[in-house]
Amino acid sequence: MQANTSTTKKAGSINNAFASHFAKSMFLSVLGLLILSFIGTRMFTHVDLNLYGYMVGTIVFIGGFFYRFIAWGERPPAKIFIKKGIKLLFRKSTPQTTAEHLITYRFIWNRGIYRWTQHILIGFGCILSCFVTFPLVFGWMYFTMDDNGMYNIIFMGIQVMTVSAEGIIAQLSYNALNITAVMVITGVCMVLYRRLKNMQARAEQTFMYDFLPLIMLLLVSVTGLALTFMNMFLHGAGQPFMSLIHQWSVIITLIYLPFGKLAHIPFRPLSVFARNYREHYMEQAPKPCKVCGDYFVSVEQSNDVINVLGTNDIEFAKKEGFHLAELCLPCRRKYRIAQFSGFPTHQVKVKEANQNANG
Amino acid sequence: MNKRLYLELENCIGCRSCLAACTQCGGHDERNRNYVYDVNPLVNTQTMPLMCLHCVNPACARSCPAQAIQIHETGAVLSALVEKCIGCQNCTIACPYGIPKFDTEQNLMYKCDLCIDRSKDGIPPMCASVCPTNTLQWLTDEEIERKQKQFNVKNDKWVTSIHLENETNVRVNLPGILQGITKLY
Repeated sequence: MQANTSTTKKAGSINNAFASHFAKSMFLSVLGLLILSFIGTRMFTHVDLNLYGYMVGTIVFIGGFFYRFIAWGERPPAKIFIKKGIKLLFRKSTPQTTAEHLITYRFIWNRGIYRWTQHILIGFGCILSCFVTFPLVFGWMYFTMDDNGMYNIIFMGIQVMTVSAEGIIAQLSYNALNITAVMVITGVCMVLYRRLKNMQARAEQTFMYDFLPLIMLLLVSVTGLALTFMNMFLHGAGQPFMSLIHQWSVIITLIYLPFGKLAHIPFRPLSVFARNYREHYMEQAPKPCKVCGDYFVSVEQSNDVINVLGTNDIEFAKKEGFHLAELCLPCRRKYRIAQFSGFPTHQVKVKEANQNANG
Repeated sequence: MNKRLYLELENCIGCRSCLAACTQCGGHDERNRNYVYDVNPLVNTQTMPLMCLHCVNPACARSCPAQAIQIHETGAVLSALVEKCIGCQNCTIACPYGIPKFDTEQNLMYKCDLCIDRSKDGIPPMCASVCPTNTLQWLTDEEIERKQKQFNVKNDKWVTSIHLENETNVRVNLPGILQGITKLY
């Protein structure tokens, strides 16, 4: 959120046109959306005004997102990872890491298959819904009918294909949001069940942080499905009313997204940055522990942590001539025992014993 | 009523009950988060426990790029939030006591949270509730002060408050009689 006057860029830089990072990001995003919609709707001739509420909601969401993201990115440790992560983005392992972290959620699989299943259902339910709704809201995708019974699918103003109104693609298009709603509802129910039964979850959860986003997702999905139900079985009775409730729930969820538990969605790509950072700098120069000499982290990360702690006025330099971040974990613990007892435990070359109890 | 964890280090007999009890805490996923060290291994039997001291200004949380390490209103520094932890391991490098553990499979850091489900309601953490030798105790500030007075040996050599890197919520003490500068067991 800092003004760009502090940076020493040349006077002609585009950054000087804006009061802050936030203003720049916001302007460019809204401009981008406007241009895309201009192209997608064939110069605003195919805007679905029924969805204008979502459009306004999305723009408010973008405002909140940038506010939260930029405030977070200004924190010294986050800044380091973002900066170095972007630099290291084109590593050979990036596609695999990205797939494992952002698509298959391998680390959640390792936390439990049940948790992985619920996360896949909710995650992909939401992501697929976004792929359908945002193009519809901004007019990037719409349907026209030239011949009776045949739909043209128009994407970004280009007629992509013509499909039978009874065909499988058309059916999938009509029901895409119904399918994703069922995915999300199943996933949320699994999560709620776990949160009610699992002792570990019960120990840590709070209603506002852990349950509220689930309830919002459930509300969005159920009201969305109710729209379909009303159309198909009630001849549209109550549909205008329900569509407003649905719209309200979606917009509230969107605006809330960057501020609560759901904020992990836009922040998650940083885990790819973190993995690249660790791998790259570990290959470049591993750091030997100042006491036992074992490699335990990269020189880069050790220095970065020391600097980050420095910006927080935390200084762990010791009179022995090392910073505590230069000791491997067992040595750092033994060093602490040495401070307690006065006997230099960390100098004794014996491996730590019996540190793991099996629960 | 506000109680803290209080360590009388030299009482430790190395039974590792605290490690076993730690695994059984509701939020701990059957993995212990504390340590017991031999002070002079292979020479004598003195051991000392080491757990998160719950710094007032925790280096782990300051170094976390994802704001995953939260500080509870009781002062306990919690394990990384599972959805936020990005697995960079900055916290393990930053911690002056080497406490946070990291699970590479789950890409997740975990550490002592003072059994927050218990301690937030005034119930002692698992380790303190099982320690057979009163090495780990759950005391009010007044009780800790009384103990420190009791153990304050006025021989100009022994100070009851051990020098730590920073201000911590857990209080550590070595209530012994100092003989020379190095303590003998």
